Amino acid sequence: MRLFFRQAKALVKLSFVELWRRNDVFALLVLAVALMVPLSLSSPFGAAGASRYLDESALLLTWGFSLVIALGTGARLFPPEFESRTIYPLLAKPISRGSLLLGKYAGAVAASWSALLLFYALFAGSVLLRGGSLSSELAQGVVLHMAFVALAVAVALAGSLVTTPSANLAISGIALVSMFFFGRRLPEYADAVSAPLSWLVDLAYAVGPHAEFFDMRQRLIHGWGAVDAAVFFAVLLYAAFYVASLLGFAALALKRKRL
Amino acid sequence: MTASEVVRIEGASRSFGDVKAVNGLSLTLNAGEVMGFLGTNGAGKTTTIKMMLGLLRPSEGSVVVLGGDPTDPSVRAKIGYMPEVAYYYPYLTARELLSFYGGICGMDAKTVRERTDELLEAVGLADAAKRPLKTYSKGMLQRAGVAQALLNDPSLLVLDEPFTGLDPLARIHFRELMRSLRDSGKSIFFSSHELGETELLCDKVAVMKSGRAVYQGPVRQLAGDGERNLERLFLDVLEKGGAA
Repeated sequence: MRLFFRQAKALVKLSFVELWRRNDVFALLVLAVALMVPLSLSSPFGAAGASRYLDESALLLTWGFSLVIALGTGARLFPPEFESRTIYPLLAKPISRGSLLLGKYAGAVAASWSALLLFYALFAGSVLLRGGSLSSELAQGVVLHMAFVALAVAVALAGSLVTTPSANLAISGIALVSMFFFGRRLPEYADAVSAPLSWLVDLAYAVGPHAEFFDMRQRLIHGWGAVDAAVFFAVLLYAAFYVASLLGFAALALKRKRL
Repeated sequence: MTASEVVRIEGASRSFGDVKAVNGLSLTLNAGEVMGFLGTNGAGKTTTIKMMLGLLRPSEGSVVVLGGDPTDPSVRAKIGYMPEVAYYYPYLTARELLSFYGGICGMDAKTVRERTDELLEAVGLADAAKRPLKTYSKGMLQRAGVAQALLNDPSLLVLDEPFTGLDPLARIHFRELMRSLRDSGKSIFFSSHELGETELLCDKVAVMKSGRAVYQGPVRQLAGDGERNLERLFLDVLEKGGAA
């Protein structure tokens, strides 16, 4: 057990170092600051409710950037190892493929969370700069967002072991963004169309990564209050189940991968 | 497998589709020996090394390393491996690289620090220890590779083309390092195209051709009366496809 934790710690540290030494995260951070600061300083049309639109924009940016980082980090966990052959000295060490997968996943999630929390700090700063206050349900929103990031990393990681990097990013990105915006509409759409298209839509709803479950933006913006604890934990359970399934699939794919 | 045997490969074959990369290979490496593994490109050297490291399982036959199955991580804890292409994480420094691999080996932080200092000094990278690996030359990366292979103080060292990219001075330095490792009782198995280096370092050699070992034996026996050098004999063995 001690060996596993030392290995996991080394892999988590590696993910952090890689993420924060890469320029693209800093580019996103600079972009976020460049967009959020003017938003926080502006008062469009002098309308009292305009701050909601600014909050919505800032949160949408946070969601977008966190998705880019999660997908990028998850998708980059294994392909560069195979491409540059660093996988050989790594697997020649006393580490099993299962431990490697779990450690790398934990590292990618932890690193992506660190970036996410920084984006939320920027969002909080933007709200406070406009003289607003932070709602108590923001913590719940952040936790659900973190669960979404963990799910997105798992989607990209699993995809990276069975397809090419570009195809993986495209498929994972489309699946998550589509579910984020249209997931809640799929049952209505399935009712509106005839078979076999309705079966496909039902299948997509059953197996697709329900990004929309984690989205508390409207509640935060409009002050609708926190979600019920049972719902909150059910969503976390859904994320845990989905991540476990994806990691199980990824473990099989990694085991079958020819070295 | 006898107590002195570090590696025992018996009738091992490995196929990739219709291609038999290794075909009925048998060889042994004893404790404290240095074995050179020779052969042309595509002869099956890298596949054999991968089987020794547990990265590939033989399709037929068996590979026993240090008395166990190399797919078992506890067996690999006693093996040090340096790959042919020395690409490591370019954004890490050499010190961070060794710290990372130390964690993967399950070593505690203090031991990793001590071993890192010792090894960086031994491979001549102490002055460049804080530079990112992306700024290293090929030879420096090769030396970082040697350091990571030695980090866990392995009983068996498996080196794939260790002389690639080393300048003459680094070669001499590396040769001396190998000798001191052999003298300290470590077993070394290395593949190489550098016949001169092999002749200077090895106790015995195995020559591979089309997945089969066409010669195995002491370097001195292969060299016979000393009138023939290893290069000539290597060519003879490959041409005849059998013992020289």
